Formats: sequence, C-alpha cells, structure tokens
Amino acid sequence: MSKTALITGASKGIGLETARRLAASDLDITTFILMARPSVDFDVNFAALEAQAPSNVTLVRRDVDLGDRQALIAAIHDLHGHHKNIDYLINNAGFTNPVPIHQVDFADFERSMAVNLYAPFTLVQELLHLGNRFEVIVNISSTAGITGRSGWLTYSASKAAVINMSEVMRDELKIYGTRVVCLSPGRTATALRRVLAPDEDPTTIMQPQHVAQVIETMLGPTGQYVDQQNVIVRQ
Amino acid sequence: MISLILLNGGMGARARTAGPKQFVKINGVPIVAYSLKAADEVEEITEIVLNFPPGHRDTLEDLVRDYAISTPVKYADAGETRQGSVALLLDQVTNDSVLLHESARPIVTADDFRTLIQSEHANVGFMREISFTVAPVDPDTSRVTGSLERARLRNVQLPQKFNLGDLRKGHEYASESGTPYTEDATMCVDAGVDVFFIEGSENNLKVTTPGDVNLATMLLRHEGDENV
Repeated sequence: MSKTALITGASKGIGLETARRLAASDLDITTFILMARPSVDFDVNFAALEAQAPSNVTLVRRDVDLGDRQALIAAIHDLHGHHKNIDYLINNAGFTNPVPIHQVDFADFERSMAVNLYAPFTLVQELLHLGNRFEVIVNISSTAGITGRSGWLTYSASKAAVINMSEVMRDELKIYGTRVVCLSPGRTATALRRVLAPDEDPTTIMQPQHVAQVIETMLGPTGQYVDQQNVIVRQ
Repeated sequence: MISLILLNGGMGARARTAGPKQFVKINGVPIVAYSLKAADEVEEITEIVLNFPPGHRDTLEDLVRDYAISTPVKYADAGETRQGSVALLLDQVTNDSVLLHESARPIVTADDFRTLIQSEHANVGFMREISFTVAPVDPDTSRVTGSLERARLRNVQLPQKFNLGDLRKGHEYASESGTPYTEDATMCVDAGVDVFFIEGSENNLKVTTPGDVNLATMLLRHEGDENV
C-alpha cells in the first residue's frame, strides 16, 4: 500500500531535506504534501524537488501559514478530501524571534506558540476528527526545549511544550497503533538557526540532511525500538 | 452484517466515581471510547446501538463525533435494570445477529469481535476459567450450602454474540418467569437456547471499582509491550 506523508515547513531546511530523502527511500511513500508559507525558497526548492523525484512520486504543494489556524484548518479539510489518509505527519515548521524577556513582543510569543505548538496540535486533532489514522507522527522539538537558554524564552517555552505534548499523544494514540516520535535536534544549519545564532559558521554544525536521515530511520521499522522518548539528535 | 449493542447506561454506584462510570477515564481517555473504537474497526458491524445514563446523551454524541466513529450509532434510553436496558436496546436493532458488549470492559479488541462473528455458533460468548473456588451459600443464615466443581464453572465475560430471535426469547422468558438475570448467556440457556463459549482473556477486566480503573490504565498503557 503506497503511503502519504505530510511535511510542514517543507520549503527549506529540515522539512525540505526530509521530503527529498523520503522520496528516494524504500518506505513506499508515493504522495508528499509539502506545506509552508509561500516564498521564493518554496518556489525554487519545490521545482527542484519535482525535477528530482522518482516518476511514481506525487508532490503536492500547499501554501499555508502554519501560524494562521483558520487557514490551516481549511487546508486540512481540503487535503483530507483529496488524499484519503495521511500516514506520516512530520510537524517540522518552526518560528522564532529570539530576544530577552524585556524585549519580547507578545505577538511574537503568540506566533511562536501558534507555529511551533498549536499547528502540530491542530493538524493531529483535525485529522483525527476526520477519521484519519496515522502510522507515525514526528514532532520536531529542539534541545532548546530541554534546557531553556537566555534570550530564547519564547522558542524554548514552545519547544518544551512540544516535548510534553508528544508524550501525551504517544500514550493517547497508542490504541490506534500510531507511533509518536519527538525529535530534538541540536544546532542545525537552517534559516531558523541563523536567526538564533547569526554569527555562527553553518558549515561547522549539523546539517538538515543529518536530521532528515534520522527522521527516515524513525519512520522505518528500526524507529519503533527507539521512539519511546524524546530523541536528541546532536552532532 | 451484525449490530453491536453497547451497554453504557449504568451509573457506576460501585465504582464510586464522581460522574457516571461511562465517562471514567482510563489512561486519560473516556472508557466508552475504547469499545467504540474497537467496534468501528470491524467491517461486519454495521450499526452500534448505545444507551446513555439519564442526561448524558449530548456528552456521548460529542464523544462519538470527536473520536470520528464512522459506524452509524443509534441511541437508546437506559432501563431501570440491566435486563430492561438490553430490552430497550434490542428494539433499535435492525440486523438478525447482535453482539453484546459493555463499555465497562475497555480492553476489548476488534479481533475479539471478529472471533465471535466468525464462530460457527449463533450464540456464543467469551468465558474464562476461574482461579478461585466459589461456594454456594445462604446469605441470610451465613450457612454454606454445598460445593461447586470449579472445572465446570466459568467467569462470564463480554462481548457475546446472539441470534436476535434467541436473545428476545431469553428476555421473554426472564420477564415471564420474573427471574432477574445479570447477564444474557445464562438467561438464554434457561430459556432453552443453545449457547456456547470461547476461552476468554484474563485481561478482559470489568471496571467496577477505583482499583480497577488503575489496573485497566496499567494494562492499556502497556498493551503490546513485552515483559509486562
């Protein structure tokens, strides 16, 4: 049975590399729904992915702002009508504006929570209500969600919530045979990392491809032996 | 095609819980959701007839919607007694064969339902060997009145499967004879119907006390795990 994967934040970074890697894997995923905000990156990378993808793979692009709950819900309902079941859900989209507490604009805190926490929640809940049966859900958290770091209050708080939400989902969805994987990558060379650490040389840290490789492993049969807790991915 | 009668109307006097025991949570999930989810996976089950404690129909309808139960669900009022409840539920059934289950047994699987459906017998239920000795007594005088052979006794579990006509016959017999029954297999047998049993699982716990809630939570949390 060919499977469908939905990847959020798929226009670049870990999401994009995950799509690339899974399309070439032997997990028999033949439909990929790539969700992200419209951007030039998304245009360019989606076109490149289409050019590379094996002929039996269908790529579907969905322009949606994961921070806009109503738009997200509308997109989910529309997707469910077109694609029968989402087997693999990779909640990867992330947002941060790292500033000290004195400078936190509450709207940014709300957006961090909306993209990093409420969007994964909304995707899972809406799809469950539609009768979707997940095989594996991967929630991308961060090592910043394990240890809070000065200047990263909103990001750390949202990612800590993702870790705990994943634990609850893992328990509650067990009756469906759904596996819930929580991955906490450390420093990874992504656009988000450049916001968090603008002076860092991205070639010296973990690459999105490495995280994508771990995601592929977690989706496959080996994953079930290591998915019981938050998995830290660090170079 | 078969109908599932899901008994869900009791008020949980024994479980001593705040609300009706149907909404007791096992592993954080309302207990009735487990049976609904298992039944929903079974293609042969074409309708679920569910009763509800007085005043709780809305809660149950919300739950059926939230858990995306795709099998059509019909609702019936709870009766004064268990027997009365089953009779009210039977009036809603449209198939000739029915499965009977109770939401207080959350550790039911789709395969349990399938095993009954596939059984050659029209009337069959899960029963379990008992690991303890049962004595017949006279409770008024505290006198032990004889002995029972354990090997010839079984713990009656649910789910069960019945031919609708046979189950009705059982209920008519109970009502005419004025005998109160706490379950339907032995009632049908007393009415002259052939009923068979399949060996049940010791995990098929009926949640009636607060301790059972803890035990069921533990069993469901570790379902499928090794070395439990």
